[in-house]
Amino acid sequence: MQDLLGLPIDASAHGPEIDHMIAIVHWLMAVLFVGWGSFFLYSVIRFRKARQSKADYAGVKSHMSSYLEVGVALFEIVLIVGFAVPLWAKRVNEFPPEKGALVVRVVAEQFAWNIHYPGADGVFGPTDVKLVSADNPVGLDRSDPDGKDDIVTINQLTLPVGKPVIVRLTSKDVIHSFGIPLLRVKQDAIPGQVIPLWFEPVETTENIKERLTKRYQIKKGEYDPRFTAMVAMMDYVDTENNLIAGKGNLLFPDVIDMLAEAGHNEILAGPDTPMEIACAQLCGLGHYRMRGYVAIKTQEEFEAWLSEEASYLPE
Amino acid sequence: MRFIASVVVTIVLSSFAVAGDVSGKVSFGGKAPAMPRLRMDADRFCRSVHRQPVSSEEVVVNKNGTLKNVLVYVKEGLTGKKFDSPKEKALFDQEGCVYIPHVLGVQTGQEVVIQNSDNTLHNVHTLSTKNPSFNAGQPIKGHKLAKKFEKPETFKVKCDVHSWMGAYIGVFSHPFFAVTNDDGSFAIKGLPAGEYTLEAWHEKYGTQTLKVSVGASDKKSVEFKYSGS
Amino acid sequence: MQQSATTERRHVESVRHEEHAGFWRTYVFSIDHKVIGLQYMMSALVFLFFGFSLMMLMRWQLAYPGKSIPGEVFVLLPAVISAATLVIALISKRKLIGLVGLTFAGLAALVWYLVSDEVLFPDGVMVPELYNSFGAMHGTIMVFLGVVPLAVGGFGNYVVPLQVGAPDMAFPRLNMMSYWAYFIGGVVMLASFFVPGGAANSGWTSYPPLADIATTGQTVWLLGMVFLITSSLLGSINFIVTIVQLRANGLTYMRLPFFVWAQFITAFLLLLAFPPLEAAAVLQLMDRLAGTSFFLPSGLVISGQALEVSGGGSPLLWQHLFWFLAHPEVYVLVLPAMGIIAEVIANNTRKPLWGYKSMVYAVIFLGFMSFIVWAHHMFMTGMGTVISTFFQTTTMIISIPSVIILTALMISLWGGSIRFTVPMLFALAFLPMFGIGGLTGLPLGLAPTDIHLHDTYYVIGHFHYVVAPGSIFALFAGLYYWYPKVTGRLMNDTLGRIHFWGSFFAMNGIFFPMLIQGLAGVSRRLWDGGAEYAHAQDTLYLNEVMSISAWVLAVFQLPFIFNFFWSIRKGKKVESDNPWDATTLEWQTPTPPPHGNFAMVPQVYRGPYEYSDPKSPKDYVPQNVA
Repeated sequence: MQDLLGLPIDASAHGPEIDHMIAIVHWLMAVLFVGWGSFFLYSVIRFRKARQSKADYAGVKSHMSSYLEVGVALFEIVLIVGFAVPLWAKRVNEFPPEKGALVVRVVAEQFAWNIHYPGADGVFGPTDVKLVSADNPVGLDRSDPDGKDDIVTINQLTLPVGKPVIVRLTSKDVIHSFGIPLLRVKQDAIPGQVIPLWFEPVETTENIKERLTKRYQIKKGEYDPRFTAMVAMMDYVDTENNLIAGKGNLLFPDVIDMLAEAGHNEILAGPDTPMEIACAQLCGLGHYRMRGYVAIKTQEEFEAWLSEEASYLPE
Repeated sequence: MRFIASVVVTIVLSSFAVAGDVSGKVSFGGKAPAMPRLRMDADRFCRSVHRQPVSSEEVVVNKNGTLKNVLVYVKEGLTGKKFDSPKEKALFDQEGCVYIPHVLGVQTGQEVVIQNSDNTLHNVHTLSTKNPSFNAGQPIKGHKLAKKFEKPETFKVKCDVHSWMGAYIGVFSHPFFAVTNDDGSFAIKGLPAGEYTLEAWHEKYGTQTLKVSVGASDKKSVEFKYSGS
Repeated sequence: MQQSATTERRHVESVRHEEHAGFWRTYVFSIDHKVIGLQYMMSALVFLFFGFSLMMLMRWQLAYPGKSIPGEVFVLLPAVISAATLVIALISKRKLIGLVGLTFAGLAALVWYLVSDEVLFPDGVMVPELYNSFGAMHGTIMVFLGVVPLAVGGFGNYVVPLQVGAPDMAFPRLNMMSYWAYFIGGVVMLASFFVPGGAANSGWTSYPPLADIATTGQTVWLLGMVFLITSSLLGSINFIVTIVQLRANGLTYMRLPFFVWAQFITAFLLLLAFPPLEAAAVLQLMDRLAGTSFFLPSGLVISGQALEVSGGGSPLLWQHLFWFLAHPEVYVLVLPAMGIIAEVIANNTRKPLWGYKSMVYAVIFLGFMSFIVWAHHMFMTGMGTVISTFFQTTTMIISIPSVIILTALMISLWGGSIRFTVPMLFALAFLPMFGIGGLTGLPLGLAPTDIHLHDTYYVIGHFHYVVAPGSIFALFAGLYYWYPKVTGRLMNDTLGRIHFWGSFFAMNGIFFPMLIQGLAGVSRRLWDGGAEYAHAQDTLYLNEVMSISAWVLAVFQLPFIFNFFWSIRKGKKVESDNPWDATTLEWQTPTPPPHGNFAMVPQVYRGPYEYSDPKSPKDYVPQNVA
């Protein structure tokens, strides 16, 4: 059922439970629809005027339908008690201890996701609206000892694999929604409120990228719009061995044309950023591309990334 | 009719050479502050178009020790005079996820063509107070938007999609303004004879004024001096 | 007996009124419920068409993001309709049809104005602000100016007094006022396209702070809403009083046609649910105009600038007030539709509705429950376990009465002698389509599954299945069904069948792919239809499928529009006042019913659907036959 529904790749620890529940609900829907549908089709054909010239005043006399309705009600009770409530409670009540988790602040704004890491000391520096500027999107007080080592990125959410992540979510301006389909995470970011959420990524994005890599036919002058979000997954050269597109290069229309001219008629391509934060709440004209990039790295890569970021910090 | 009249007046005025030019430079003393590198990884397109790191244009000190992107204009001395809006359009471009130019001077009523030369969404958000503020999205490369500003003021323009993108537009009721370029010089031409207060404006270091008296066919040279911390 | 005295007096009054009425009094400022019903119907149909046109333009952008729109093609449709109706008007010499033709000409001009605007459509490409604005206005127009006015204002006004055997609504002048408040609201909404910054662009839900800081169009939207809500309140009181006070003698509650029951409950929903939204709209107006901060928290930074407001408000307050209306509003969209379906199914199966009483109890229960499910729209706003459990439970409970009604309608088919008339086709299609709409509500009503599906295309698919092939199909069924009562002529059958089958396939072509995209995680309200998102790539091709289906749907409305106007003069004349051999009272009047409706106050002797009673020689016994 999960494959049939076309759910995206699931890279979080809690995701399969949600997918499982989606599948169960859809089974119920399918059974009801097919059941009703068969009854409906049979009735419409069997009781057409040509076949049944006189209607039966009483119609159905059995009380099967009442049992059916009770059955549906019971199933819904099972759904709520057995699945919905415990799953939800796990999401909003049973947070992992902060000690073993990575805590990040996410501050949404029109039209970007500002990601705030506590830095080496593990403590978030204080923030103030008055300090907000183009260089300091979250209004972090760098003069405070806690704030000195904090790392702030825009649209780059980098996380280690296999470790619970707690996100403290808020917004600077309007309501946004922090949705990561591949992690089965969604939560509205509401100004004036800080709402926590948590999840645990279980697969690196590099891995997902490999899994989503496919061969695509190309032709000069024909640009598959899907390429806008894709990169080459190996090096491509022209006849004189000059590099046209290296592994990881974006596939712009001119790059595709050059590749086609050089005699390549198919390329190996994968998504540039397989896991993205998709804003799910209308937030203005840039809503459609209020997109963050999620990178799930191994613990070592993650630490290397953190220290690289730390090297950019102002004195 | 009005056009012809103004042409005639211009010709008459210039033939009598009652106008003077003011030129000069804006020098910068002290240590140039290090400008932060602009991190464009928030947008896949922006990241990919720059091979070299791009720095903020907040303070740009030229090699010859002058300051770029200073708006120099006549602040006082033109009271009572009216100037027609020029026919030529001013271009305000967005290319490589930065504004070109970073500081633009235009005249009231002059048409400003705001153009997106990038393959990504930009939104032009004017933080003007006297002119009506607008916020227009330009999702497609090559999109142009024509706007006119009717009230003199200097305001910031920003892009909400790319937080690092900021520029300034100065609107003047007269044509006597200039923006310093790569050698820190500026030239204001065709000023009618008279006493003027010139003002220089910089987004970080603020304004400076000086007085200048321009006679017929004068060629005056002035210098503004800014200094870092 | 007091009731009948009132009825008698009103009857005399309204007959007297008719004698002096000129064109304006008869057709424009009429207090006759039938004329007001038709005014509602015509206005609502035009608005439905306009709201649909906005979507057709948006669907171009979604299918071909960033490509120039062939504006002429989109202007062509209203222009053709305008020309055709004007020709029909000239031939048949009907001023009213001419008015409709002129209205469509106006619409064509409006579309042309929008499409040729350099700022809104640079190089023919719709900018995102305009996309958002069209999205917000599509929702607003379809719900508040289209479906509800057609279902309640149109059919409710025309049919309810006839079905209860009343000479008119209880308060005819209030009724007229209700229409004109609606009309002004509609004009205000249309006018908002012309203010600087264009029409409202914060979604039909108008969530603050976005709506609080939006362009002027939002202010106009709020003003328009105040008129529309006022109109609904006036109308709902009128319906309640009419149904309680003006029923014919012998027409007990359990003898009311199901349609009347549906309208009765709908009226209560409107009456009780709309005031909170009206209050909320006024509060938002004050936030925008008077500098208050009902919905604005402290410390907002908009576009890098601190917002100079007192703050301390709550954005969630709006959502609660809004959904406290808007969930019952869903049932306002659905109940009258179910009512129409019940009438058409009983009539075309030639047997009584199965489980009429349980349907009535279910609809009452549904109405009550619809007030305590609203926060299932807000699971993602940071809701704890207790509250979410409450709303999940009420949501599952409310599904039961819906299941009962749908099942009863379905079982009613069993043992019938089904005639596949055009209204019956629409009614039959309603059942499975509405079924899909209802079923897809399940995973959205359960909080954990809603995590993945919330605010994706799945939601859009879900509620469109409820409202488009659901409610709108029911409204089509109603139009074809009651048309001969209103005009004395039948609509053309072949054109009707073309209209039905085309619409049926096109509707599914539009809405089913939405469910697939939603499961893939594609967010709604995206200007480029998700073109840049990695997880959307595999379902992007569906955007074109949906768009083409939408345009095909538009093409298949042409036979309907033509049929609708052509048949007024040229349709096949009915041979009796009761061409469908129906039982309810509206068919026991002259055709079309005169001002005052009934020659004499009818006496009701039996239930609403006495079809194929073995004791009767004919296969139907009207309610007023002793």
